[in-house]
Formats: sequence, structure tokens, C-alpha cells
Amino acid sequence: LSHYVKLFSFHAKMPMEKKAVEMVERCLDKYFQNLCNDLEVFAAHAGRKTVKPEDLELLLRRQGLVTDEVSMHVLVEQHLPMEYRQLLIPCAFSGNSVFPAH
Amino acid sequence: MARSATVSQRTKIKRTAPRGFLRRVFKRYKPHLRLEARGDLLVHLSCLLFIRRLAEESRTNAYENKCSIINKDHVVDAAKVILKKSRG
Repeated sequence: LSHYVKLFSFHAKMPMEKKAVEMVERCLDKYFQNLCNDLEVFAAHAGRKTVKPEDLELLLRRQGLVTDEVSMHVLVEQHLPMEYRQLLIPCAFSGNSVFPAH
Repeated sequence: MARSATVSQRTKIKRTAPRGFLRRVFKRYKPHLRLEARGDLLVHLSCLLFIRRLAEESRTNAYENKCSIINKDHVVDAAKVILKKSRG
């Protein structure tokens, strides 16, 4: 969890108290719990036992992060580093092959 | 405020995702579900956006109270708003 706390203090651009750090960790825990429950519901609704990228996209859409103007690929491009972007966004290569294939 | 009770900013952050950690957390809550390959990266993305919104909200709260450091109460107030916004 310390990774995300570091990110928090990076985005907050302010020093913070130790107690506030504990609070952030508890919020993250809560957030993970909600996230897992939501993903379970979405996957069960589609009749699957596997959580697919579509479920994550639906989740982000319901959180108001993915909208009609801002698609998920835009968010991926803005926030994730290059090597993860290559894994997530389909891109045409030579020989008319698309990676990752859908 | 004693100096030791505050956490100053780090200048350097890593941008890699803690993928094993994310998978472990997911398994702990939902042991019967499978997470598709690359799904953990999207979970990471959503966490990133959550943290970002939380940080901005608590920064605004601290600013309104004219505090120069982020308090516990600022985070609590921000968490109430942002957790409500990020329900699935």
C-alpha cells in the first residue's frame, strides 16, 4: 500500500501528517473492497467467473471517469507508462496483425 | 507541530504497477473469481485515478481551512465525497 500513499503525497503537493497517511490506507482498503464487490457483481451478471477488461471499463464508466468524450484508452495513455500502454491498447503492426488481439 | 509527525513529499515516484500486490488483494477478497490477464493493470489505473481525486479533494479541504499541511480530518472529509463518487 505504501506505493499508493507515495502517489497520494505526490498528487497532494503538500506535506501531510502521519495520521492522515493511516487514513489514506484505510480509504484504499475500503476502495479495494468496494471494487472487488462491484467486479464480482458485473462478472456474475454476464454469467462469467472471470473478470474481463469490459467489467473494468464498465466500472470506470459508472465512476464517471470514462465518458463519451473520454474513452478508456485516453485514460490509459495519460496515466500509465509506455510498457503497460503497449499491453492495453490494440495497435496495428506490420503484416496487418493487431496486438493484443481481441 | 513537531517535525517528526509530518511526512514530507517525496520527489521521486515509481510509475510501475505493483501487479503481484494487486492480484493478491483481489484473491484475498474474491478467492473464487479469476482475474483476466492485464486486468490488474486496469485495476491499477482505477486506483491511480481514485488516489488522484482523493489527493486533490483533500488538498482543497486543507486550502479552505488555511492549513499548510494535510490533516487527518481533511482526508476523512475528502474520502466521504470521493468514495461516494466512485461507487460502481
